[in-house]
Amino acid sequence: MLKYLRLFALFVKSSILMELEYRANFIAQGTLGTLYAGISVVTVLLVFSQTDRLGGWSLDQGLVVVGIFIAFDGLTESFIQPNIRKLIDGIRTGTFDFTLLKPVDSQFMTMFRYMRLNGLMDFAAGVVVIVIALSRLGLPVSALQVLTFLVTLVMAALIIYALQLMLATSAFWFVKVDNFTEAFRALYDTARYPVSAFRGLTRLTLTVIVPIAFMTTVPAQALLGMLDGALLAGSLAFGLGLTALSVALWRRALRSYSSASS
Amino acid sequence: MPADVSVIDLAKHYRVHEKDAGLKGSLRAFFARRYRTVKAVDGVSFSLAPGERVGFLGPNGAGKTTTLKVLSGLLHPTSGEIQVLGHTPHRRESAFLRRFTLVMGQKQQLLWDLPAVETFLINKAVYEIPAEAYAQTLKELDDLLELGPLLRKQVRKLSLGERMKCELAAALLHRPQVLLLDEPTIGLDVTMQVRIRDFIAEYNARHGATVILTSHYMADVTALCERVIVIDKGHLLYDGDFRSLAERLAPYKVVKLRLPHPALGERLADFGELVSNDGLNAVLRVPRARAGETAARLLGQIEVDDVTFEDPPVEDVIRDVFAGGLEARA
Repeated sequence: MLKYLRLFALFVKSSILMELEYRANFIAQGTLGTLYAGISVVTVLLVFSQTDRLGGWSLDQGLVVVGIFIAFDGLTESFIQPNIRKLIDGIRTGTFDFTLLKPVDSQFMTMFRYMRLNGLMDFAAGVVVIVIALSRLGLPVSALQVLTFLVTLVMAALIIYALQLMLATSAFWFVKVDNFTEAFRALYDTARYPVSAFRGLTRLTLTVIVPIAFMTTVPAQALLGMLDGALLAGSLAFGLGLTALSVALWRRALRSYSSASS
Repeated sequence: MPADVSVIDLAKHYRVHEKDAGLKGSLRAFFARRYRTVKAVDGVSFSLAPGERVGFLGPNGAGKTTTLKVLSGLLHPTSGEIQVLGHTPHRRESAFLRRFTLVMGQKQQLLWDLPAVETFLINKAVYEIPAEAYAQTLKELDDLLELGPLLRKQVRKLSLGERMKCELAAALLHRPQVLLLDEPTIGLDVTMQVRIRDFIAEYNARHGATVILTSHYMADVTALCERVIVIDKGHLLYDGDFRSLAERLAPYKVVKLRLPHPALGERLADFGELVSNDGLNAVLRVPRARAGETAARLLGQIEVDDVTFEDPPVEDVIRDVFAGGLEARA
């Protein structure tokens, strides 16, 4: 465990060194990230300029969802996307070999080897949005709310991580899967709104089939004291279940690795 | 002494889809894939004693790289018993991964945008190399490869040869006992090839490491390996002493001549088999055993601007001999 923490720190350090190699790119990425976060907030403000409530959520409650959306978007951009891109590329060109040659868990090595700083701007922006929304609501937040918030948040992170990893893992069979990860992006965009803003079948799909609801809405509900036991159970089930599934799929995929070219 | 590497009846089959040329072929392949099984390696057996240096020869697609990849645990064998240092490679046990290395001339592990030493530090942590051992190994590799200032330059600014030296160092920091080297000198100029070769020989001598080497350059194999294993189309064709193979497979040398004027070309056929002649540049094959005598005679009788005597490329020789149906068996 200690070894893996130390490795993670080293990976982050080496990634930061790489980012600093290209100054102009670094600045451009940071600016774009902030802009993108701004757009997310504006979209939700626009929706609420037409209506007071969205799926039973007030503007400030809705902003908590947006804040979580932006923060996770930033973390994905920083910690997941760079690794997914390297993985898909590595499978196509065969440099994934080097990951398999190392005496370190290959899934860990694949998912945490690279990070980029650009998403950290979004992450910070997301946290700011949540704090502003909470202070405008002026509600007391109990210890239980904070605890369930953290639990559902960790589960949400696991769901996001596992889904993207599974999509990328399919590259072991299909090789070129850049569009699969685009599909995740498009689905994740719906997580910007509380899931109750959607009706009937769509809502059901976003809760049960593609667990978008558990990524942003459910953690927001936990923080706002709107969570019930069933949702908490669902969050745990999806978080742990999908993680286990992604590990199983990964193991299966390694058997299919064909190591391109010589 | 127990073998470091033991391969019994290894087979690796792939299922690949085929497609005809052109748009029509691509469309057909998109909708209705036809699959075919390729037997990349089919029933190969051999074993290596600790400290042995063995050359792996065979034309492109013979199954050399596939065999190395199975030995390193990257590929699961279709069938066969494979043991490397007492481990089954594809289980990828940590104790196994720590004791061997795979260097591929065509692929690099060095971080492109950072100095090589940053990759070294990551490998140090990945292999959990104690600080003292790391410093000692790095110093030794530095002495042997003359890495010096290269370590602090961004990898993208290094020449191909400099990068290969750093790749080798990165792959050897954990002091592996088995070295699998796949085309480690590919694309390098002759001086650098010799440097890399000398280094491999020195490393093997100092640490008694077992080395398997594949190369397009016969000289690599000549200089490094007493024993060679030849495979073609997934089958083992020869396993034994290099010297008898070289004579068997390449009984001639290639003479390349640059002539001052075209007329001289006519007379070249007297000295050996004329492979090509465009007037000013000619290529001859002369029997290996009479190479020296032929050289003396040639230079005495014909005015040349430049002449070189070379071994033909390994792949050419192997193809020639195999196409000629020469029996090559251990």
